[in-house]
Amino acid sequence: MRAKNNGKDFCMFALPGMFCFFAVVIIPFIYGVYLTFTDWNGVATVKNFVGFRNFGGVVKDTQFWTSLLLTFKYVIFVVIIVNVLAFAIAYLLTRGMKGENFFRAGFFTPNLIGGIVLGYIWQFVFSRVFVSIGESTGWKLFEVSWLSDPTNAFIALVVVSVWQLSGYMILIYVAGFMGLSEDVMEAASIDGASGFVKLKSIIMPLMMSSITICLFLTLSRAFMVYDVNLSLTAGAPYGTTEMAAMHVYEKAFTSRQFGVGQSEALILFIIVACISGIQVYLTKRQEVEA
Amino acid sequence: MRKKVMARIVSVMLVVVLMMTMLTGCRFGFASDPDDPNEEEKKEPIDTSIDTFEYDSSLNGTNITLLNTKAEIQVALEEMGAEYEKKSGIHVEIMPVSDDSPYTKMISLYNSGTPPTIAILDTTDVIALAEEKALDLSGEKWLAEAEGYTTQINGKTYSFPLCIEGRGIIYNKKVIEEALGETFDPESITTLDEFKAFLDRLVDSGIEKPVSMAKEDWSLGAHQLQYIYETYDGTNEGAQKSIEEIKAHRLDLSTYNRMSEFLDIFDVLKEYNVAKGDPLGADYDEMAIDLADGKTAFWFNGNWAWPNLAEAGAEETDEYGFLPYFMNNDKDDFVNQMIQGAPSKQVMVDREIATEKEQAAAKQFLNWIVYSEIGQQMLVKTCNIIPPFKNNPYELSDPLSRDLYEKVHDQKVFSVSVIVPNDHWAVLGAAMQKYLAGRSDRAELMESIQDYWDEQE
Amino acid sequence: MKKTTIGGTKRKVADLLAVLGLIIIFIAYMFPFIMVVINSLKQKRDIIKSPFSWLFTIKGLSFDNFVKAYTQMDFLNAFKNSLIVTVSATVLVTLLAAMLAYYIVRHNNGISKLTFGLMVASMIIPFQAIMIPLVSIYGGTLNLLNHRLTLIFLHTGFSMAMSVFMFHGFIKGNVPMALEEAAYIDGCTHSQTFFKIVLPLLKPIISTMVILNSLAFWNDFLLPSLVLTDKKLLTLPLSTYSFYGTYSADYGTIMAGLLLCVVPILILYVALQKQIIGGVVAGAVK
Repeated sequence: MRAKNNGKDFCMFALPGMFCFFAVVIIPFIYGVYLTFTDWNGVATVKNFVGFRNFGGVVKDTQFWTSLLLTFKYVIFVVIIVNVLAFAIAYLLTRGMKGENFFRAGFFTPNLIGGIVLGYIWQFVFSRVFVSIGESTGWKLFEVSWLSDPTNAFIALVVVSVWQLSGYMILIYVAGFMGLSEDVMEAASIDGASGFVKLKSIIMPLMMSSITICLFLTLSRAFMVYDVNLSLTAGAPYGTTEMAAMHVYEKAFTSRQFGVGQSEALILFIIVACISGIQVYLTKRQEVEA
Repeated sequence: MRKKVMARIVSVMLVVVLMMTMLTGCRFGFASDPDDPNEEEKKEPIDTSIDTFEYDSSLNGTNITLLNTKAEIQVALEEMGAEYEKKSGIHVEIMPVSDDSPYTKMISLYNSGTPPTIAILDTTDVIALAEEKALDLSGEKWLAEAEGYTTQINGKTYSFPLCIEGRGIIYNKKVIEEALGETFDPESITTLDEFKAFLDRLVDSGIEKPVSMAKEDWSLGAHQLQYIYETYDGTNEGAQKSIEEIKAHRLDLSTYNRMSEFLDIFDVLKEYNVAKGDPLGADYDEMAIDLADGKTAFWFNGNWAWPNLAEAGAEETDEYGFLPYFMNNDKDDFVNQMIQGAPSKQVMVDREIATEKEQAAAKQFLNWIVYSEIGQQMLVKTCNIIPPFKNNPYELSDPLSRDLYEKVHDQKVFSVSVIVPNDHWAVLGAAMQKYLAGRSDRAELMESIQDYWDEQE
Repeated sequence: MKKTTIGGTKRKVADLLAVLGLIIIFIAYMFPFIMVVINSLKQKRDIIKSPFSWLFTIKGLSFDNFVKAYTQMDFLNAFKNSLIVTVSATVLVTLLAAMLAYYIVRHNNGISKLTFGLMVASMIIPFQAIMIPLVSIYGGTLNLLNHRLTLIFLHTGFSMAMSVFMFHGFIKGNVPMALEEAAYIDGCTHSQTFFKIVLPLLKPIISTMVILNSLAFWNDFLLPSLVLTDKKLLTLPLSTYSFYGTYSADYGTIMAGLLLCVVPILILYVALQKQIIGGVVAGAVK
């Protein structure tokens, strides 16, 4: 576009979208940040400025730091498993076998169910279906509900998240693989590159842009996990599976410390922003080298 | 090419399935099986011929909203609202609370400037909101009818008690009698040792694990654990005092008799728990089925469990009732004679946004529930609620509520409303789960309770 | 699409194993769905006591759950509401995001950079952090709740960042400047160029964004629950509220209700499937 109509272009192309975005996301966010500096409890008509007192409350809230630690653990598992699995499945789904489209559609289906309902279904699967399989087969693995043991409940959370997120990532990786030129692949094979070498030195670098975007999406979504957490385990057993986002919500509304909850949400945001920023920076650098 | 055809076939199939479900929607509606447990329970007819209530005609045409946090009476409330509209010309819109907590919903509604005119809330929520938002109801006439069940905040009444809910150890009489081959008199058990001996007899006669207990944090943290405050001396003041004493470290939990007594009966229930192998895997719906089927004979729960039991196949003519929560072996201790029953939902009226006319319409609705023949009937029969109002003459249909109602009249209920912070059930419910699962001991549980109170301001 | 096979039998065995593995994973993926379908046809008792039993061994097999879900949800009305909200918001966000992304790609100025940066950052704002401020602004101050238009606007705003992000990647990699310049030389205005030249080129990414956004809008629960309280306006997910009791849930009806909600979106997905894959291929990764 030429520069002379810049003002008109801006109004026509950029303004409507920007208006929606700023009005819906940025302004409430700024207002939310402002609230962390007040003693507002959600209902009172007056808000007093209290400075950093709410952040003091965050420091004292040991449960928040515990849940944050758990979230880190969860994120590591989810991000690695989701991406490895999705990458592998996408690879298999782009080799020209029969029924590819059917499989691709099938793997996407978990995305069709909303978060809350999804958690309920899996809760039903873990606490009823698996236990019932355990009863009839005598398999130790399913003897007791996974959701009643802290470690197993955590695994259950990871399994469900992987199930839900990988469908989306498969889609993106499939796209990436289809973008690879076949010549490159064939040339590599003819040159006698073995599977692993081919993967490491040819496929990975070319897939780096897909990897960047998938890592970013899985990282941010895993950090923000709320729906599944709430409807699958609700923190049970005895509060051992409460992730950061859920804790923030509980703090603000169940424990009724609105300011502290809001501040914790802000801290969570900053942490996730830093980590995903670093991730994007690092993986982007890989892209350039390739 | 083939793929395209496939995709088309699949989509046609889906459309057919969708249309089929829509069509069957009409057909199957008539051909339903009368024994189907999924069928709606038949409703008791409401006699609307007599109505001596005086309606204020100037309020005709007013619209008010009611936020309902008691999901099981949603449909009943809608019917009640429709009936009230027919009589008074006031439209009552019933708003449900779905997955958010009631308190979160109230905050979001107040912030959005559209609070409900009337809100049915838990007592703790009323206490949190009342002075800031609620209309003072201290002058209302129905206060006299609800004596002993109202909640005061700094000397004023802001809320209307909607129902009495009671809890204890639910028994299924038929199952017990069939197992033992003799008639069962619930009053024959008077102490914890007797209860334990009775459980052993049931075990010997084939009911291997006769007790169900819920793993849910609200059941463990609120309904069970709160006995330690409620039984301090069986009064509201005593309950509050026990909390103050715990906070001030004047009441040492390790020597507090109600604490250890509570754990004594809890341990008994735990020992005979049908889900002993995996107590935290217990399923609420399955407990109802187990009790109705006779796999178990007892279930620690409240009268709100009836819809689940009915769904599981229990009939209104079956005999279910409550045993007290036996905390010790002193026959004369009130805890071994009475069950706990208290007003559980409170209704408040908004004073901030609602207009005077809307407030008047809301107040009239509350009066209508207490004084009009129709309102009285609908509260009991349609909502299946035990009314806290002395002047309501109607009888309940389900055995659990009936038993509770009789106990209220026989003075076999102690009514304590203990006021604890809102996250009490969640935080200490988790500590109780840990104890139930056998992953903590008494000392650790008591420490959690003490820590919880130490953190409160 | 057939590739030349290299490596003979060894390759074939590996292929077979891979396909086998794929099928096993696929079944695991579909498992919860199969459970939903099977159990939506059972009575609550059977669901709880024997969730895994096969259909033919169940006595109470019936469509009653569907009937109940259909009537209690007020399905047609909720369907209409969901349709209006989903379609309008999807159209709006797709169009506005495409235009905004186009502007950002072609004008590398400060505003562009700032907006794009904010958008990427905003994708990691926890919704809980803006929930209460959002209702106090839109309800308390502006008094706009309980309108479908408000919900459409909010949906548009919330999905703007992700959509711009995806369009941005696509336009950068797939829309050559040369075409536009040719159009200007022919005397097209900016908007003519965009609508006649650029937009048609965006078709693959548009299909992708349509399906992703409409899925999100169709299934969303939290935002509509904050905005809509009037019963007549409830969307499909909101209308299933009555299946969740305070103490227990009505599983059979929930599953039937879920299937009723999912079927329309499934049809859309099947219809757009080919374009979706194509769209992501060309778009997101560039």
